[in-house]
Amino acid sequence: MTDEQQTAPGRRLKVVYCGGCNPHIDRTAVAAELLADDPDVDPGATLHLSGCPRACASDHKLSSDDPGTVVVAGELVDGVPTPAPELAPAITRKLKE
Amino acid sequence: MALKTPQEFRQSIADLHLRIYMFGELIEDYVDHPVIRPSINCIAMTYELARLPEYEDLMLATSHLTGKKVNRFTHIHQSTLDLSKKVKMQRLLGQKTGSCFQRCVGMDAINALYSVTYETDKAKGTDYHERFKEYVRYLQDNDLVADGAMTDPKGDRGLAPHQQPDPDMYLHIVERRDDGIVVRGAKAHQTGACNSHEIIVMPTVAMRAGDEDYAVSFSCPANAEGVYYIYGRQSCDTRKLEDNALDVGNAQFGGQEALMVFDDVFVPWDRVYLCGEIEFSGALVERFAGFHRQSYGGCKVGVGDVLIGAAATAADMNGAARASHIKDKLIEMTHLNETLFSCGLACSYEGVKMPAGNFQIDMLLANVCKQNVTRFPYEIARLAEDIAGGLMVTMPSAQDLADEKIGPIVEKYLVGQCDTPVIDRLRILRLVENLTLGTAAVGYRTESMHGAGSPQAQRIMIARQSNIDHKKDLAKALAGVGKPWDKGRAKVPTAVSAD
Repeated sequence: MTDEQQTAPGRRLKVVYCGGCNPHIDRTAVAAELLADDPDVDPGATLHLSGCPRACASDHKLSSDDPGTVVVAGELVDGVPTPAPELAPAITRKLKE
Repeated sequence: MALKTPQEFRQSIADLHLRIYMFGELIEDYVDHPVIRPSINCIAMTYELARLPEYEDLMLATSHLTGKKVNRFTHIHQSTLDLSKKVKMQRLLGQKTGSCFQRCVGMDAINALYSVTYETDKAKGTDYHERFKEYVRYLQDNDLVADGAMTDPKGDRGLAPHQQPDPDMYLHIVERRDDGIVVRGAKAHQTGACNSHEIIVMPTVAMRAGDEDYAVSFSCPANAEGVYYIYGRQSCDTRKLEDNALDVGNAQFGGQEALMVFDDVFVPWDRVYLCGEIEFSGALVERFAGFHRQSYGGCKVGVGDVLIGAAATAADMNGAARASHIKDKLIEMTHLNETLFSCGLACSYEGVKMPAGNFQIDMLLANVCKQNVTRFPYEIARLAEDIAGGLMVTMPSAQDLADEKIGPIVEKYLVGQCDTPVIDRLRILRLVENLTLGTAAVGYRTESMHGAGSPQAQRIMIARQSNIDHKKDLAKALAGVGKPWDKGRAKVPTAVSAD
């Protein structure tokens, strides 16, 4: 996992990326789509965004016990298979749950 | 209940009074039957090593359900370290038995079902996960052996389960009752089935609409009413019926496979873990297969260690150990064997924590591991036969060696390296024979090919996860594919002066 944590100015979602050695998805595109949507989430909400199912951004965990955290590992959102085009809306739904 | 002793294990299997058929007869005293006994010894070894402090780190784990020490074969993996210790434990047992030791399938089944039942409940509102946890507790508390039963006979491979002319080609539900279900069918190639306390049944393929009665997972006692076993033959198996152990090669340990028949078996609801949820049968198959493909990166490596050792010893006994080509062949065998181990460890270290809380291996690397297992043991076996020499398949029998008149002649002409007793030379050659084309070859060769799924099954999984588009993008970016090209800048290189 890289320590890079991206919180866009004026936005509340923090994005933690994996190192990106074997991405099955376009991580930055997913993050950009989310940040462009600027979902209305609680401060401190975190997205662990890994490119593949090895889930390096979340220390090899496919989901988190923290209610404010969503884990994406390739085409999995909190362990549930999700096609790439549907990742951003699925993450938004999770963050608002 | 504490961990069982090997003796308690043997007695507990005898007490089940299983219905086992062999050579057309019902076997009464199967625990002491000379063909079956070596396979019982293998599982007994999983109990024996668990009681020895020098093996405890690999053989025992702390249950996340009870906090107690349990045999790792009943453990739900809680970390990537657990996954790697599993592989190392399997290598250890392969080394100690020189055989398939049969207890892995149940371990892999409980770990696959643990996450699938959790996810099924989340999606469907069922309560499979809690009842399955109770079942795992039962296995752990009583230190039981479970058989993971997946492979159906499958009949016509071109037809879905519900399209088969004979509906029993895939195990299926024939009746749903208030208190449970009734199932019928069979499971083929069941490793260790006749020395297991419990059976865990899983579907064998991803199910589709119409297959609801076949999307079923449950557990039952190995001696449940309606369950019986038809023992599988192995190459050279009747040598075990002879009085002298020499010609068996490995008289103490061996594998076991059986055709397991379910003749209208009743299963109460608290033992049912999937019942008609077709969309989760595929995940269950893939996860069990993934865990089992990881397993082969340990168990086959341990048996490979024995075969490499046997080949090296045969070379010593032939007086050929100093030949450079022999040394090189042993290096190649070791390289292949350790490559398998590397794959088993790699898919463990890259494992992930599932939403259910357990850890699962990396699927791509587990499939790569097993794909290598479909090849490397064959090459290791070929090299072992090369080193051992043709005598391993042409030498006279133990009876000839023991004969008063013929024995001294056999001994005179089968002498090898001067200090080696002939009997020891024959013992090691018979072990090579056992592993490469005798009873143990079932486990070391053909099981390496087809066990945990045939090679094409891994290739499908590898293709699915190979991320080929990413690789194409990498190549295109470096080659400049799609960028404008300035033809005018393509000049002939200027010659470099020698000065």
